[in-house]
Amino acid sequence: MSKRVLCKFFAHGACLKGEHCEFSHDWKAPPNNICTFYQKGVCAYGSRCRYDHVKASRAQPSTPSSSIIENQPLVSESVVLGNTRITSNDVTTAAEFSLSNTPYVLPSIPAWNQESVHHDFLREDDVVQSIITSPSELPICSFAAAGNCPRGEQCPHVHGDLCPSCGRHCLHPFRPEEREEHMMSCENKQKHLEALKRSQEIECSVCLERVLSKPTAAERKFGLLSECDHPFCISCIRNWRSSNPTLGMDVNSTLRACPICRKLSYFVVPSVIWYATSDEKLEIIDTYKAKLKSIDCKHFDFGDGNCPFGTSCFYKHAYRDGRLEEVALRHLGAADGDTIIAKDIRLSDFLANMHLS
Amino acid sequence: MQASRARLFKEYKEVQREKTADPDIQLVCDDSNIFKWTALIKGPSETPYEGGVFQLAFSVPEQYPLQPPQVRFLTKIFHPNVHFKTGEICLDILKNAWSPAWTLQSVCRAIIALMAHPEPDSPLNCDSGNLLRSGDVRGYQSMARMYTRLAAMPKKG
Repeated sequence: MSKRVLCKFFAHGACLKGEHCEFSHDWKAPPNNICTFYQKGVCAYGSRCRYDHVKASRAQPSTPSSSIIENQPLVSESVVLGNTRITSNDVTTAAEFSLSNTPYVLPSIPAWNQESVHHDFLREDDVVQSIITSPSELPICSFAAAGNCPRGEQCPHVHGDLCPSCGRHCLHPFRPEEREEHMMSCENKQKHLEALKRSQEIECSVCLERVLSKPTAAERKFGLLSECDHPFCISCIRNWRSSNPTLGMDVNSTLRACPICRKLSYFVVPSVIWYATSDEKLEIIDTYKAKLKSIDCKHFDFGDGNCPFGTSCFYKHAYRDGRLEEVALRHLGAADGDTIIAKDIRLSDFLANMHLS
Repeated sequence: MQASRARLFKEYKEVQREKTADPDIQLVCDDSNIFKWTALIKGPSETPYEGGVFQLAFSVPEQYPLQPPQVRFLTKIFHPNVHFKTGEICLDILKNAWSPAWTLQSVCRAIIALMAHPEPDSPLNCDSGNLLRSGDVRGYQSMARMYTRLAAMPKKG
């Protein structure tokens, strides 16, 4: 349900949950800009608040549960306002309360609908019965979804089916699409959690510490080598690979090689989880590469610069008009029969090679 | 600096925990300086160093484990790859083939392996190297055994 509301963290570019976030990461989704404190009656920021000071019903007409309320007879303004409060926001607070064993007491009574909470519970039954026509429009009981519904069999809302992954009664029996979506995201979440659990124990062979127990979040990442399966912290392996080759170390056979098996890897991929199968590793690498491909290369600089990585660069080589760089490799046959790939030939290279002094 | 300290501390704990795991190696950290270690290693059997106990001095750089520790023999030893006067060791993993996955413990193991399999083609001790290269294995062995008796065994009486 909440998938439709834009994630606030995502909007600021700082959502850590990625695709596992329960809020939408689609820019087209409507943002939820409603001030939650105003809903409870008091917002300390008053007119300077960055969130909208409107009542939830008007701002979220698309929320399924509010569709019931719109059809309700208007008794008096305060009552209407009170009933419109069954928006997703309110339901979650109520659900949280049921967990703390005080199901019928709301955290704070909004100043502008003192009576309304009681109205809610008294009236809903008739409302639901009189208006709902198709079973898919029946709202799902969020108490049951959160773990346990105090009203049990008498509850007017639909009690969802048990989700095999998260073990909660949150699958709506009459909304197949929503079921599917929940199952999918739940399974992914579960997989991610399991992978994280598996990764906990894995130690880096350079610092000898558990990678996921490092002090800062930036360090709690694995560095996957492309050619072998030995685990390291991203910071350890990057430090080693970029350290100065002293004592006659050969860059390729020592620094670029795996510290354990000495297999040469040309790149390192950061990852929060450690993989169990080669398919998983491939998936991590592909996701990483795809992400980099969407970022403009700073060396290429929209065609103004020169990228030393050329066609092997992981970043995007696009000109300012959006056109991608086209590369035609020039193969030169050297005198000894070898073929070399000619890079951009510049006059300065020739001059530099002439050793003029 | 911090990283090397943390890593050495890890190794110290590991050494304490598995003191009995490798009876041939005894690694001791300096009481006041974690960057200075000494090790006692037993000469491998079926070599002229058998029965001797050799003392090694480790000096760990601040960039450890990105750079190898400096190791030298404190006990006099007659070996083609060990400098007779300074105790300096010629071993690739302590120079260009170093890898941060090596630990002080595994360096000790590598040195024991070097004692059993000398590399006369890159000698630091030319006399010893020349003996081996000219095929005088017996000459090398008796010299090495003599120095082991003189320097690496407890004096009798």
